[in-house]
Amino acid sequence: MGSFEFEGRSVTFRPGDTVASALYRHGVRTFSRSLKYHRRRGLYCGTGDCPNCSMTVDGQPAVRTCTVRCAEGMRVERAGGWPNAERDLLHVTDRLHRVMPVGFYYKTFVRPRFAWAVAERVIRRAAGLGALPPTASAARKVVRHVHVDTLVIGAGLAGLEATREAAASGSVLVCDEGLAARSVAPGSAPDPIEELRTAVASLEHVTLLDEATALGVYEWLHVPLARAGELVHVYPSRVVVATGATEEHGVFPGNDLPGVMLGRAAAALAGPHGVRPGDRAVVVVRTEEGVQHLQTLIDAGVEVVATAVSPALVQRVPEGAGEIVAGGDVHEARGGSSLRSVVLRREGLGKRFECDLLVLSLGLVPRDGLARMALPGEDVTVVGDAALGVGIAEPGGLDGMVCMCEDVSMHDLEQAWDEGFRNAEILKRYTTTTMGPCQGAMCGRALSCFAASRDATPAPSPVAPRTTARPPARPVTLETLAAGVHEIVDRRTSLNELHVAAGARLDRSGGWLRPFSYGDWREEYRAVRERVSLMDVGTLGKFAIAGPGAGDLVDRLFPCRIDDLEPGRTRYVLTLDDAGYAMDDGLLSRVGAEEWFLTTTSGGAGRADARLRNLADRLGLDAHVLDRTAQWGAINVAGPLARDLLERLADDSIDAASVPYPGFADLSVAGVPCRAIRTGFVGELAFELHHPRRRGPELWAALADAGRDWDLMPHGLDALELLRLEKGHVYIGQDTMPDDTPAKLGMPWAVDMSKRWFVGKRALERMGELPMARRHVGLEFSGGPRATADLRGEPLLVEGQVVGRITSAERSIVLDRPIGLGWIRAVDGGFPDRLRTGSGATASVVTTPFYDPDGGRMRG
Amino acid sequence: MALSIPCDLCGHRPFTEFAFGGEWRELDASDTEEEFAREYLPDNPEGPQRERWFHAMGCRTWTTVTRDTRTNEIG
Repeated sequence: MGSFEFEGRSVTFRPGDTVASALYRHGVRTFSRSLKYHRRRGLYCGTGDCPNCSMTVDGQPAVRTCTVRCAEGMRVERAGGWPNAERDLLHVTDRLHRVMPVGFYYKTFVRPRFAWAVAERVIRRAAGLGALPPTASAARKVVRHVHVDTLVIGAGLAGLEATREAAASGSVLVCDEGLAARSVAPGSAPDPIEELRTAVASLEHVTLLDEATALGVYEWLHVPLARAGELVHVYPSRVVVATGATEEHGVFPGNDLPGVMLGRAAAALAGPHGVRPGDRAVVVVRTEEGVQHLQTLIDAGVEVVATAVSPALVQRVPEGAGEIVAGGDVHEARGGSSLRSVVLRREGLGKRFECDLLVLSLGLVPRDGLARMALPGEDVTVVGDAALGVGIAEPGGLDGMVCMCEDVSMHDLEQAWDEGFRNAEILKRYTTTTMGPCQGAMCGRALSCFAASRDATPAPSPVAPRTTARPPARPVTLETLAAGVHEIVDRRTSLNELHVAAGARLDRSGGWLRPFSYGDWREEYRAVRERVSLMDVGTLGKFAIAGPGAGDLVDRLFPCRIDDLEPGRTRYVLTLDDAGYAMDDGLLSRVGAEEWFLTTTSGGAGRADARLRNLADRLGLDAHVLDRTAQWGAINVAGPLARDLLERLADDSIDAASVPYPGFADLSVAGVPCRAIRTGFVGELAFELHHPRRRGPELWAALADAGRDWDLMPHGLDALELLRLEKGHVYIGQDTMPDDTPAKLGMPWAVDMSKRWFVGKRALERMGELPMARRHVGLEFSGGPRATADLRGEPLLVEGQVVGRITSAERSIVLDRPIGLGWIRAVDGGFPDRLRTGSGATASVVTTPFYDPDGGRMRG
Repeated sequence: MALSIPCDLCGHRPFTEFAFGGEWRELDASDTEEEFAREYLPDNPEGPQRERWFHAMGCRTWTTVTRDTRTNEIG
């Protein structure tokens, strides 16, 4: 005996109890409120297949409580419902079917336009299966990869038999969800499954994985298994699906009242859990298993008032089954907050029975979603009940809930059919039947039967049309999807420890851990503009490109003219993709006749490497690409005193003739061999010192020491943001859209269309014939929010219509006014030059750079 | 069993080590129209396709293989 907390009350549980069985014993009958109409839902399937018993357990929403064992001190509450699930005023939506018909989001709240904004907020609050705790940090899950000959999904009788067979010829991993699958056969001792399990577990090459949920069968036979602390990716040569069957969902008016229950749920309560599921019961028996369930109920002392039984099983009905209605069927169930009576019907005649429990053993439906995800030709076999067929049965033609996850009734299906959605697959999409947490376990068969019975063309096929099964087969938590992300290693430059010692605020950027600020970023900014400052740019992509074909390679890759670049000179290069869109940018330096040095953005290094190697290979060029990103560090020395600083340390001359702009020179700084590249990104005199990674700390210390009397301080990414913004330089990715051509970026000078060929040229030719629909602009703001940075991301409007967006914004220190970058669309064939921002500020289009337009300062 | 790609340097490796590089396309052609067609109008065959794979998590070389898009068999 133990206890857990349920909505402020203490609930005791017995050994072996699930949360659902303990709550049922405690007298809870309303387990949840339905998604759309807030109808009461009671315990229904008892096997983890339906959505009814979903509750929030220890802060995790949408947990199927019939699959969770009780634990001391657990906190359980029902989600949905206002003020609570027991007294839910939102149940009024059940009377509003007319404004929320099937597919209502396509039909209602369309006009006037503002209505949706209001309605969306209301609907969001009303609907849903609970709220994620916004502050709780997710448990970290690790990722494991397993290669195995055979994966058996499901450790029931069929699965264990298949495991034994497969173990003879190779390694086997057999996984099972746990609880739900094994709580079925009550009373049979010794339990044949337990016996077989013990036998199989002792076999060589067999691994049993409990409480592992298969999420899907992916291409190349890849099956992810979700477990409590890990996500296991299994790569088998062969998959055996032995997931068993669910009990058939009954569709009739009142079928979702609390008190209506599938046979397995009722038998599990009455048998192993020792809870009487009701006082007076009506039972429907159409399966062998149902006969056993009926016996279990009678043994537990449930008064069975009537049993509707299929003719073949009449002889098997035990004593005490009440009035026998052979060949009978449920006509409807009635009740208020729970079941009060059931009408059984036979040959058109109905008879009412007062009762508080209706137990349905209607048949078995294969739990074959995983099997149906496999592609043709893949080695996936289905065994046991999962291999059962789905026969067509005429649906009752009456109303009733088909889909309990999304509140879709038979009436809704009829209406959708009348609206022209005349096929199981599009009925599914339109009504969302089978798309809820149960993934069609309950409603899939009913939907298929409905579609098959309506489809008059040409002859009804012998098998019901099943809708496509897709992963995930079971509800999956976000922390499962995020499994392994904490294992990603941040790359660090060789200067990382110096940054930490200097008290820098480090954060992730482009796969690296980088300093954003060392304290006051505005002070860092001033150091660059007024004196001299250092920045760790060792994260830049750095490539040596050499060989007889190297010149051809860079000429064919980059859209600008390359052949006139002399050794010792550097050029800004854009990289385009085949579609002519800007992907990355960087600096290309010519080192010698057949040798080049390329720097790319920090985040773009991996793709640049792939792109260079691809092109060299496709063109058959004799060119070699050496990725020096990890071997070389780089320090940007920037500011009006940058040259003076280097003169104190360099053995070589660094005047404008020796290291011209734009150009580079190989020289020795404080004894460290450096490639000094003149750069213009921050708009001041700047030298990027590329050096062997190991010697980075030594070089950094020497530079910092030499600049001490100028109050030298390093700058981080925060200062860089404004420094480059004042120069109007875009960050590819932040300021650009995925389909920005050089023309849209205002950089036509970065392209030489007279070149014979470069990547993206044919696309630019075609797009050049079209009018420009969008372009990047510099912006100045007035009347904006106090913090200019808050403007970033705001829409830009002309006469109330959104025509653009602000991609960067900050208050310029040197100009003392708010500036930004953004993109705007053409309006009536021209580009507007005055716009409103989303928060009501005025934005004027201005030319860039904002600062030092003729570039005199960076040329030094 | 995962699809395995024959890398020129490393031999057969699981496809998860590779990045897909799309259909093989000739770059040069006699006129710009043909060049345009080669670049932008892929054949997208249902059957054997010559395609590029980049051994991103390995030796970082590119390779060209023929894969049947229906069966994933590598010819």
